[in-house]
Amino acid sequence: MPDEEVLEEGLLTPTEPAVQDPLLRELLADAPGAVPQEKAQPAPAPPAEVDCVVVGLGAGGAPLLARLARAGLKVVALEAGPWHNPAQEFATDEKAQDFLFWNDERLAAGADPLAMGKNNSGTGVGGSTLHYTAYTPRPLPSDLHLRRDFGQGEDWPLSYDDLVPYYEEVEQFLGISGPTPYPWGPARAKGYPLGPLPLNSAAQLMVRGAEKVGIRTAPAANAALSARYYQEGVGWREACTNRGFCQAGCSNGAKASMDVTYIPLAVKYGADIRPNSFVTEIERDARGHVAAVVYTQHGQAHRQPCRHLFLCAGSVETPRLLLLNELALSSGQVGRNLMAHPGVQVWGTFEDEVRPHKGIPGGLISQDTHRPADADFVGGYLLQSIGVMPVTFAGQVARGRKLWGQELRDYMRRYNHIAGINILGDCLPHPDNYLELSDELDARQLPKPRLHFSAQENERRMNAHAERLMRRIWEAAGATDVWAFGRYAHVIGTARMGRSGDDAVVDRDGRAFEVPNLYICDNSTFPSALSVNPALTIMALSLRTADKFLERQR
Amino acid sequence: MSAPHYPAGTVRALLPTAHVSEATRAALQARLDAPAAYAPQFFAPETFALLEAVAARLFPQPDRPDRPIALAPAVDQRLAEGRADGWRYDLLPPDREAFRLGLGGLQETSQALFLNDFGRLDDQQQGHVLRAIAAGHPPGAAWQTLHAGRFFEDLLAELTETYYAHPLAQEEIGYAGMADLPAWTKIGLNEKEDREIPAGE
Repeated sequence: MPDEEVLEEGLLTPTEPAVQDPLLRELLADAPGAVPQEKAQPAPAPPAEVDCVVVGLGAGGAPLLARLARAGLKVVALEAGPWHNPAQEFATDEKAQDFLFWNDERLAAGADPLAMGKNNSGTGVGGSTLHYTAYTPRPLPSDLHLRRDFGQGEDWPLSYDDLVPYYEEVEQFLGISGPTPYPWGPARAKGYPLGPLPLNSAAQLMVRGAEKVGIRTAPAANAALSARYYQEGVGWREACTNRGFCQAGCSNGAKASMDVTYIPLAVKYGADIRPNSFVTEIERDARGHVAAVVYTQHGQAHRQPCRHLFLCAGSVETPRLLLLNELALSSGQVGRNLMAHPGVQVWGTFEDEVRPHKGIPGGLISQDTHRPADADFVGGYLLQSIGVMPVTFAGQVARGRKLWGQELRDYMRRYNHIAGINILGDCLPHPDNYLELSDELDARQLPKPRLHFSAQENERRMNAHAERLMRRIWEAAGATDVWAFGRYAHVIGTARMGRSGDDAVVDRDGRAFEVPNLYICDNSTFPSALSVNPALTIMALSLRTADKFLERQR
Repeated sequence: MSAPHYPAGTVRALLPTAHVSEATRAALQARLDAPAAYAPQFFAPETFALLEAVAARLFPQPDRPDRPIALAPAVDQRLAEGRADGWRYDLLPPDREAFRLGLGGLQETSQALFLNDFGRLDDQQQGHVLRAIAAGHPPGAAWQTLHAGRFFEDLLAELTETYYAHPLAQEEIGYAGMADLPAWTKIGLNEKEDREIPAGE
């Protein structure tokens, strides 16, 4: 790297008031060279070229941002949403927390339209990690080679062993709470840094039912602290208070969302974070390489020249940006291979008091169903106990159980006695499932994305297998009035990685085949869905992508 | 198991305490304090009255004869401001159009089945109209262009989420999750903190 590109310590975003988090403010104040400057210059010089622009600050963008900044690169992060102060702003109220979701309209098409908004999206510094459930199981090695094992689906151009050092690093850095040894998968060099979180009622009921049915269970790995934890660049984070509101935002920093983990680390190393910055255009030079990013912040257009671009905007906005800018489309795979995890839930009513809003929502796991002996489908799934907040639950009862009137009010009166379990299963890519730009414009005058999703035979069989098993578990645990809610979670695969530019958008390092200074890192690059929640793998890939990029720069 | 009955007043009693954060209290108190009178901003008055009648049938509140939890204003405000919740069924038109068509269709169905406006039907007839729409094949020209089942589902889900976000509805189901400070320590089966609403007799 040329000398003049050496990091300018403390180069901070000019929109300083956006840094509302007290922890971050403290970090910024402590950063060498960050002594408050004189008031803003009247005529700022045109922005200098930076080494890297990162678009999106969720699980894909934040870890690599910290890594690139630590390596001394000049990095700018553009995040469409604001930078929150969870301790003061986040209410224990679902409706009040709606601002965490990407609420611009997406069109859900196909036989099984995908609910977006609170189900499948995020915005703000931290992205959807601001409202993820914190469930962080590793995939099992065979998740990465479905085609080799079944002749269907896709193999990853990476092995589990390629990812192990990164899984370990992420788990140790975030302070994952979980059981050691972990009952499924290969032996691990390091256990989880913290013991498991306490089991809530739904988890206790699942232990009870699963024992009777002969299914092994364990407390789940969760990115929420079971004890105070010290993190480089961040300091002490406090333990989880069992609020149970992970999906509506953690207010005390116990959950390892990116805004309390990798982002403060990135800030410590000099990353320039620009919230409320919505990217509208990606400019290219004569060779077709990315030259600059155009974005709107507070109603003003800005242009940021860059040497490299990292698109980490999630599996809807990343392909939308590629399609809008006609960038890296030659493989024909952008927007295609859209997958969503089968996530059928089974609910029941118990004599016991459950109070399902307390404790980490996904307290208990089983991966005994990873490759069920009696499976009539490809792949497998994990089982999970689930807590639920009342408004989310009521909405599902209305949509899924189609109750209304007095019947709905009567059923909801049992809320404190209701508990659920669900699955998260693999999904195969299919030509009918894809993302495209529609003709309908949104408030920004950009085409709304349309997501086509229809569950195919494999997903239907898996759901049926899982529903039968979960009904048995719940009935064994003593549930009555058992019902199933079919749903799909996470959008995956819309800019997939592979071995060749003929059938993939990026290579195993996340680098676009067609545009050598463009990298993609989020769950759009997953070649297969994996039978686990995606966040941990996105973060691991993010660190790996940064390392491979840095190796290439040397 | 009989549905438990919860004493009234408990969420309201918790709200001013130190168990509830400032942001949480502000959100819930605003719903409690919303004025009873509401002038619609998006719907014409007669259409808004129709939406209120539908909400009253989907959420009958005989226990609150003087002051039912108002559900229609949230829909009207959202449509007036053009807010979305991040997604829409592709087979439905944009929300404002869907509501115009859907509420018009509701009148058509009421007329086709009972020769009267929805608001003038008795409880049983209104139930019949709503069930026909929920089932997806109601009579009425509007339903040729609007998918009845999905429209009904979206409408019901929005009203339901508005209802259960209200402190009085949360009281009704024995929910005390808003009072989460400093922490929940009793989170297992049949465990509760002293401040939690008792699970009835």
